[in-house]
Amino acid sequence: MDFGLSDDQSMFQQSLRGFLAERVPTERVRAVMESASGHDAALIRQLADQGVTGILIPEEYGGTGLGLLDAALAAEELGRAAAPFSFHTAAVLAPLLLAASASDKAKSEWLPRIAEGKSLVSVILGAPRVNGGRLRGSSMFVADANVADAFVVVCGDESSPEFHLIARGATGLRVEPLATVDDTRRVGEVFFEDVAVDASTRLEITDGAAMLARAIDAARVALAADALGAAERSLEEAVKYALTREQFGRVIGSFQAVKHMCAEVFAEVEPVRSLLWYAAFAWDEQKEDARAFAALLKSHATEVATEATTTCVQVYGGMGFTYECDMQLWFKRAGYDRQMFGSPTRLREIAADLMTAA
Amino acid sequence: MDLSYGPKYEAFREEVRAFLEGEKHNAPSASIGLSEGSGQVRDWQKKLVEHGYASRTVPRDYGGFGAAPDLLENIIIDEEFRRAGASRGMANQGISMFVPTLLQYGSEEQKRRYIGPTIRGEMIWCQGYSEPGSGSDLASLKTSAVLDGDEFVINGQKIWTSTAREAQMMFALVRTEPDAPKHEGISYLLVDMKSPGITIRPLVMMTGQAGFNEVFFDNVRVPRENLIGRRGQGWEVGKATLIHERNMLGAADLTESTYLGCVDVLREFGVLDHGVYRDRLMKLAARTQAMKYHSMRMLTDRLKKRPPNAAALIMKLNGCQLNHDIAKLAIDAMEEVGTLKRGSRHARADGAWQIGYMFQLGLIIGGGTAQIQKNIISEIGLGMPREPKAGTGTLSRR
Repeated sequence: MDFGLSDDQSMFQQSLRGFLAERVPTERVRAVMESASGHDAALIRQLADQGVTGILIPEEYGGTGLGLLDAALAAEELGRAAAPFSFHTAAVLAPLLLAASASDKAKSEWLPRIAEGKSLVSVILGAPRVNGGRLRGSSMFVADANVADAFVVVCGDESSPEFHLIARGATGLRVEPLATVDDTRRVGEVFFEDVAVDASTRLEITDGAAMLARAIDAARVALAADALGAAERSLEEAVKYALTREQFGRVIGSFQAVKHMCAEVFAEVEPVRSLLWYAAFAWDEQKEDARAFAALLKSHATEVATEATTTCVQVYGGMGFTYECDMQLWFKRAGYDRQMFGSPTRLREIAADLMTAA
Repeated sequence: MDLSYGPKYEAFREEVRAFLEGEKHNAPSASIGLSEGSGQVRDWQKKLVEHGYASRTVPRDYGGFGAAPDLLENIIIDEEFRRAGASRGMANQGISMFVPTLLQYGSEEQKRRYIGPTIRGEMIWCQGYSEPGSGSDLASLKTSAVLDGDEFVINGQKIWTSTAREAQMMFALVRTEPDAPKHEGISYLLVDMKSPGITIRPLVMMTGQAGFNEVFFDNVRVPRENLIGRRGQGWEVGKATLIHERNMLGAADLTESTYLGCVDVLREFGVLDHGVYRDRLMKLAARTQAMKYHSMRMLTDRLKKRPPNAAALIMKLNGCQLNHDIAKLAIDAMEEVGTLKRGSRHARADGAWQIGYMFQLGLIIGGGTAQIQKNIISEIGLGMPREPKAGTGTLSRR
């Protein structure tokens, strides 16, 4: 019985935490947030050096070939730092789908570059069905839409998807930005104006629907991990603040009301960590309950994170509400995590269908 | 990450299963926390101790099974007994709280005198800690014990004393050093419940059950040999008892069974396919699974002898609230039937869900209120300051 991280995993997590604390302070995060593109190419190369971008990429394609539990630890640290990088798509969803394809050409062309931090690949879910070799329509909420070098486009119904890899400059492919509350992870709307697809763009993935579902589960776990990171970081900062801020002649952290707010957040957040470990482990081991747990985990983790960040903003009082205060970073991080790839309510519906026959 | 127990433990599990296959028909009806010692109960207890399924780590010298402490063995025993629906034996405070304390602080004579009869269910104990004026602030307790010759003379009152009427003996915290600082003036004393001067008054809980009592002491005399540890060491001895942890994984297993029972209720009352009920159920499922794996994480930390972690402080707070919330959903699903209490026609499961709902509220309060738990979490877990001491002016009613 050994439910926990290996020494290697703990060291990896601590080391990444240290790196991000030093190299990705909130000043850098804010600078990227306020930039036009929201893209920090240097950061992506640094993350590649840390083994983050290629964490799920097989070693034969230049990655570290680790599992989702390892990826979840990385995601948690990125959430703690509010790092401007859409890990759940760029390092999870896209590499998983690419690696699952039969095309060695596509894999050798893109996976090593992703691992090295030289290319960014995004994923477009819910793209229109291919019609006469053409794509016509649009998809929203595409991560890194404005900067991705290529997109794994999932065309048609998720129960019988067709996968194509379309490069940024493809004729008829147009991107318009969407502005969400989380400027650390930009999304856009992608328009397909008679974009041509054929055997050369096609990614053959055996059991495509099942593989897609599995990849989405992994993205959900990654978002849950990000939310955990945001929640625990906001609590740490709130406690730190409460131990210095004085009112009524004493630090506000000595008032029971404030202590209890923090204790309640802690009590809610800690078990999420264990649930995350199990869900990631179940995915790695392809356990029967992996799908249900990915949905259950993300719904719960993001509910906890929105509660936690909301409470922690209040510990800061009026300052917590300002743009200048860093609390807004994790508050908004949690907001994005909550809505993308299934809101809590939607995911609970999915989990219920999987866990409980009526 | 390895959730398996390994071959040594799987072999142990087979052993426990084999025992239960052969013997479970001898078990009294399964109920957790049997405190009384009726004939069948005591026979079962003896059998359990003989086979090492009760008092497993109590040394043989004192009548126990004498095995080395092994968390996983304990968990497997819990799991298999629960699976078989067999009683895990008596779990009264004498066995679970007093015996471990005695092993740590008692004299040889005291161990030989009390441990055997206690673990065989021949001697029932009750706990004399809380007082009407000393609940959360237990260390302020006022029941006094004054040495007069070879006897301590006890005056005062205890409350929340479960099994006071059934118990032969009480282990009590009393004040023996009135001039010493609060925490240093307390002693741990054993009291024969048949002593002259003891009056017991039952306390009825909102569940209708009289599980607790008040116990009054009017010049009750006990031999000085009934002192456990040193005079003034009582707080330390008593705290060691309170800190003694329940099997944490067992608690999470119980929550999971409660959750599954709730699913059955939703199904029976035709609301399991109702979107809103499913949503509420999944919220509870997530919390239940999170606590289950959190318990496993805590278990692993203990197995690896890691230093205590702040994350261990949330078990009681989360567990009791969750059990209470699960009962609430089951009651909601039952609509008006959910109001029926034990003994009523049409009550489902003889009103067990209402009893559980109230009983869990009692557990949220007892053994350290949720508010005290949050104080502990914020102070010990998060490093936040303790309350400044209240002044003697407007903040205190005294």
